[in-house]
Amino acid sequence: MADKEPVVDRPEDEEEASAAAAAAGGEEEDTGAQVAPIVRLEEVAVTTGEEDEDVLLDMKAKLYRFDKEGNQWKERGTGTVKLLKHKENGKVRLVMRQAKTLKICANHLVASTTKMQEHAGSDKSCVWHAADFADGELKEEMFAIRFGSVENCKKFKDLVEEISESLAKTEGKETEEDSSAAGLLEKLSVTEKKSEEVATKEESTEAVKETDTKSAATSE
Amino acid sequence: MALPNQQTVDYPSFKLVIVGDGGTGKTTFVKRHLTGEFEKKYEPTIGVEVHPLDFFTNCGKIRFYCWDTAGQEKFGGLRDGYYIHGQCAIIMFDVTSRLTYKNVPTWHRDLCRVCENIPIVLCGNKVDVKNRQVKAKQVTFHRKKNLQYYEVSAKSNYNFEKPFLYLARKLAGDGNLHFVETPALAPPDVTIDLAAQQQHEAELAAAAAQPLPDDDDDLIE
Repeated sequence: MADKEPVVDRPEDEEEASAAAAAAGGEEEDTGAQVAPIVRLEEVAVTTGEEDEDVLLDMKAKLYRFDKEGNQWKERGTGTVKLLKHKENGKVRLVMRQAKTLKICANHLVASTTKMQEHAGSDKSCVWHAADFADGELKEEMFAIRFGSVENCKKFKDLVEEISESLAKTEGKETEEDSSAAGLLEKLSVTEKKSEEVATKEESTEAVKETDTKSAATSE
Repeated sequence: MALPNQQTVDYPSFKLVIVGDGGTGKTTFVKRHLTGEFEKKYEPTIGVEVHPLDFFTNCGKIRFYCWDTAGQEKFGGLRDGYYIHGQCAIIMFDVTSRLTYKNVPTWHRDLCRVCENIPIVLCGNKVDVKNRQVKAKQVTFHRKKNLQYYEVSAKSNYNFEKPFLYLARKLAGDGNLHFVETPALAPPDVTIDLAAQQQHEAELAAAAAQPLPDDDDDLIE
């Protein structure tokens, strides 16, 4: 009995050790056959399409689209959702990519009409309507997004609403100077949080002044 | 490179044959990649369904024509006739069903009769299920026949990109090939009139009352 036990234990230890070594190395063993390549591919420059944009938000989330025919939500992808502001024209869009494959799940502008609603069953989720360009053609979609926490969901929802409200003001008051709205959007780049709501003209003026102050500080 | 009855594209494309017993998750796996959704309902595939699946890599765009074949014998149609000119393959079994793993050698034999010396990935699907019947250690067929093996879950997306990445690397002869961001084109401006907006909001309110699919929150962060 005493002699047999060590013999039995050793193969298992070795097996586990080699498995652990493989895991530690992080490299996959290739057990496949040697096959002749059938194409020759050259490395190319990668363009993400986000080169001219600043990242306002970048979070992990799970996206769903509403299937009207089945009257049900269906998964669209799990990955990272970003709010991106164009450096020149100031437009903000939402881009979500599937993890690992890095394919696009959603790609649409945040419009003045973009309204975030709470989802009835989950306080980590919200829903909205968008004209989505994920597949390279515009398609009306209803999206739901679920975050890992209530805080992250609120952060996302508040930022989108802030952006759409700014756009609504710009469109509603075309006679207003563009610098006012641009200033507000510029402020969004500097900080994602806004403890105070801009409800009056005076506060808008103050926001612009703050931006000017920061611009001056930057130039120095 | 164009195959019969296939639309031609100006970037590399490959015929990928997917075989395995019925109910192992072949169609669900493909659909996960195509639309992102996880299809719970089992509908046997009849004959074959061909879906183009594009990926962006550091060496440009590539396409797999996924020939998702019938796993059930009675719906087999042309059976191994679908394998003709296959350039790579996935053999799928279900780790919760011993029988589907026992049948892997038969699928492999039939496949290799038609497609000689192509890269093949063996996939053990449904590894998210707790009571699996085929343990990882018990899977040894791939070593005997020089296949690559991945444990996957079409439900949790575990390793769901690995079979395609492995095959792409083999077909290109480039072990460093990797997936990169699909370019996000600038969406065009959209003007919505008030009536349309009101309709959207009404539809959205109704949709917001529908439950999201049952889910593990653990998948996020």
